Amino acid sequence: MPSLSDILFSFTEWLRTTPLVDFAIWISNTRLSLTIGTHFWVIPILQTVHILSIAASFGSILMINFRLLGLNGSTRTVVQTVDRYQPWIWWALLLLVVTGLGMIVGEPVRELINPVFWIKMVLVVVAVLVSLGFQGSVRRDAARWEAAGGAMAVKLGSVGIILLWCAIMVAGRWIAYAPV
Amino acid sequence: MMLGTVWKGLESSAVGSFVAGSSWAFPTIECIHVIALVTVVGSIAVMDLRLLGMTSRACSVTATSRDTLPFTWGAFVLAVITGLLLFVSKASVYMVNPWFLLKMGALALAGANMAVFHLTTWHGVATWDANPAATPRAAKISAALSLLFWVCVVFFGRAIGFTLGIYEP
Repeated sequence: MPSLSDILFSFTEWLRTTPLVDFAIWISNTRLSLTIGTHFWVIPILQTVHILSIAASFGSILMINFRLLGLNGSTRTVVQTVDRYQPWIWWALLLLVVTGLGMIVGEPVRELINPVFWIKMVLVVVAVLVSLGFQGSVRRDAARWEAAGGAMAVKLGSVGIILLWCAIMVAGRWIAYAPV
Repeated sequence: MMLGTVWKGLESSAVGSFVAGSSWAFPTIECIHVIALVTVVGSIAVMDLRLLGMTSRACSVTATSRDTLPFTWGAFVLAVITGLLLFVSKASVYMVNPWFLLKMGALALAGANMAVFHLTTWHGVATWDANPAATPRAAKISAALSLLFWVCVVFFGRAIGFTLGIYEP
């Protein structure tokens, strides 16, 4: 039974055989990447904006899901709560993508040849698809969502989505510690 | 000199040496610290933006506070516990890092700002609870300062990670 670090190590070894290596090296020689590399504060500032955007999106995710779990927001309907917070998730996601791309350009090898980075990207895609599906369902079936507040399936889904976002943050932090 | 001994003592304590010596403890605690911190900042921002009249205008201030504050406090306690665990692993290194001291300063300012708001401005909330246009200037200033201080906390926190080796105790 291989350990988690063995699996990640094999993943890295495989990433090193892909054209991603040439791509990462090509990025690292662009003027933008070289500029970021010679300006000490660019990466910390990008990371700060990235974390503040996570605060906005994760805070909004929590507020919507706490409403579905019946933990708060009882003065507002589910639809009102979604209308209030969903736009913040998408705008924050835009900032997350922009600052994330900045970090990739600044440190391409550290990100692209990193197994944890790709695990995080898969989790992000899943989270976005789940959010789109949820948003569409609330738009189509508002009455059912208002009534479904206490249902066990909804509660499990809410907890699952919160945990999914936590996993994205954990993966994000572990990018820095992955054996590359 | 006395204090230097205290920080060294924390590092060599059972908890300090465990966090410093383990390959997974520091990153794992750091992950929980980040999750707790973004919950604190995200939930506080909901309240601050309501006080500024920019969002949640249909919600009263007390309802917004009720919906956010318990989670802010829960996450804050978690952030303090995980922060202390990270701190004891390298206490003397953190204590000579100016960004760490600035972060503690920004935290203290955020706390003082919140205390002033709750001990003074909050008393009149009944008169401006449901009407964003009636929010007093003092409440808006508190909200703007709160956002500023928490952005500083995040930036200083990130700066610590990039400067830890630079300043030697």
